[in-house]
Amino acid sequence: MTDIVLDTPSKPAKPSPLTRLIGRVPPIRKWKWGFVLSVAYLVVLTFFAVFANVLPFIRRYNELPKGAAARKLASYRGKPSGSYWFGNDKLGRDTFARSVYAAQKTLTIGLASIVAALVIGGLLGMLAGYYRGWYDRVLSVIFDVLLAFPAIVLALIVVGRFFQSGRLNLGLFQMDKRFFGVIVVLTLLSVAPLARIVRAQTLALSQREYVLAARGLGASSWRILIREILPNLLPAMFSVAFTGLAVLLVAEGGLAFLGFSVQLPFPTWGFMINEARPDIVKGGGWAVFFPCILLFLTVLAFNVIGDRVARRFDIREATL
Amino acid sequence: MAGTGKAHLHGEGQALLSVEDLLVEFPVGRTGLKVNAVTGISFDVLPGETLGLVGESGCGKSTTGKAIMQLPRPNGGSIRFEGQELTSLAGEGMRMLRTNIQMIFQDPISSLNPRRKVTNIVMEPLNIWGIGTPEERLKKVNEVLEAVGIDPDRAASSKPYQFSGGQCQRISIARALVLDPKMIICDEPVSALDVSVQAQVLNLLEDLKAKFGLTLVFIAHDLAVVKNISDRVAVMYLGKMCEVARSDDLYARPAHPYTQVLLNSIPVPDPTVKITGNQRVQGEIPSPVMPPSGCRFRTRCPIAQDRCAAEEPELQALGNDQYVACHFPLRSAN
Repeated sequence: MTDIVLDTPSKPAKPSPLTRLIGRVPPIRKWKWGFVLSVAYLVVLTFFAVFANVLPFIRRYNELPKGAAARKLASYRGKPSGSYWFGNDKLGRDTFARSVYAAQKTLTIGLASIVAALVIGGLLGMLAGYYRGWYDRVLSVIFDVLLAFPAIVLALIVVGRFFQSGRLNLGLFQMDKRFFGVIVVLTLLSVAPLARIVRAQTLALSQREYVLAARGLGASSWRILIREILPNLLPAMFSVAFTGLAVLLVAEGGLAFLGFSVQLPFPTWGFMINEARPDIVKGGGWAVFFPCILLFLTVLAFNVIGDRVARRFDIREATL
Repeated sequence: MAGTGKAHLHGEGQALLSVEDLLVEFPVGRTGLKVNAVTGISFDVLPGETLGLVGESGCGKSTTGKAIMQLPRPNGGSIRFEGQELTSLAGEGMRMLRTNIQMIFQDPISSLNPRRKVTNIVMEPLNIWGIGTPEERLKKVNEVLEAVGIDPDRAASSKPYQFSGGQCQRISIARALVLDPKMIICDEPVSALDVSVQAQVLNLLEDLKAKFGLTLVFIAHDLAVVKNISDRVAVMYLGKMCEVARSDDLYARPAHPYTQVLLNSIPVPDPTVKITGNQRVQGEIPSPVMPPSGCRFRTRCPIAQDRCAAEEPELQALGNDQYVACHFPLRSAN
């Protein structure tokens, strides 16, 4: 080693685990307000969704008003007011309580479906892209069929035929069959696009020289998939998942609109919109408006956050 | 050229690595055609030697290097490392043996996982094989990093994109060294680097070779680079071997017209030198899907004759360890 000089030593302070996860927090004047507001909105929404069954003013989502109040509020006559922030629905129930309670159901469905799709689609896509051959061909055909299959028909078959009503008993888990059916449909619908993206990325990544190098070092296929390929797939998977989640929330609304989502008495946003829609001219406008606004804001927030997360994971942009 | 033949091989048991009749083909889509990337080349590498493998783009140098690593497995021929046949090894045996041969790739950035810390990248081989305790592994990694001139403290906190191309190439070298391999295949390790950094990396390779008793196969298209580092040089063209000779002999007295052409193509840093017609190579390299008959270089060879199209030349000895695959070598046997 004649003419090689050691690199100048530079010891940056060891970042805390939190900093390593979310990156350095910039000064306030550099904050991206769209992102901050989105996070704040989702935090509040999640708080209400998680504690919906405990908070008194949300627990009344299904309560019918009694006596004089009933007469005053019946058939959408209640506009937004001090005691009913979002007004009332057809039966005089509190639209605010119902909208927030619906967030619990809608968000659970959306998150459960996207996580299931990420795990299943990610795994299948990675294996197809890495091993190729007949396995890839079979999976690609299945994905093509799933993509070509009309989504509504799939929903009708799955929910209508297999998860029409009743309760599902999975040992520890007990849940409404309809609820589970909706998650199954939405997962099925999002597996194929996710798996395709993951497969394409894996195909490209597995030709990278660091993968060849790892194989030359004697790494097993699983080790290569998990250590070398998966970390590089995550950014793409996360950004697809965030936008996909937004699409799923809307899709759940579509299912509810057709009457194939969660059963009464639980509201979801799509269900509430569907319920009040025929009565817009008769004063049901507020009951349609507020679930729509919440749905819109939630989809927007997930998109904004998805965009930031994608950039956070992008190595080049993260360094600049 | 396009030589087959094994006149140049050393005797049984002498070579660390010996490759015979290596054949690598790639299918062209679903046409039924195939790319004849490497067709029946043979060479061997003595322990402690540096063998240079040169040729223009697409002649199969890198494919040969990867075939030795069995990435992917060659379609035919035999590759013996310390007498052990690699092509028939499978599973665990292959995994074990691969650690004796390591490879350094052309693109220093692409050969390091961008999402891992440099220390972890270099430690990965030790983790795979479960060698030593975590403290011993870190010690070994830091030793090797220092041997290649990378600050271990910085490596522990940085990812590859925070290093320059030359530093990344040194990190690749460190990763290759950490398992104490016997042989390293360098696949154009310096062609993506600046000239000044090239010299650094080449010197480093020379030093490490002496320090760790390595044997190198050095693949490059830059003859000047190969000349400095190699003991022997093998010239390839379109998947065939043209000429094998000791480095100095090859550069001083090339016997194959293609070697001559390659040497003439080294730029002379003197603007008054004119390039004359017969020093230039005409045309493009033919398609490896349908290579020319007989000698593969004949379509571009300045001295080709009818015999070259009909008959494929074999490697013949010119004495003094020089071998050439040509019917009309530029210098006769001594």
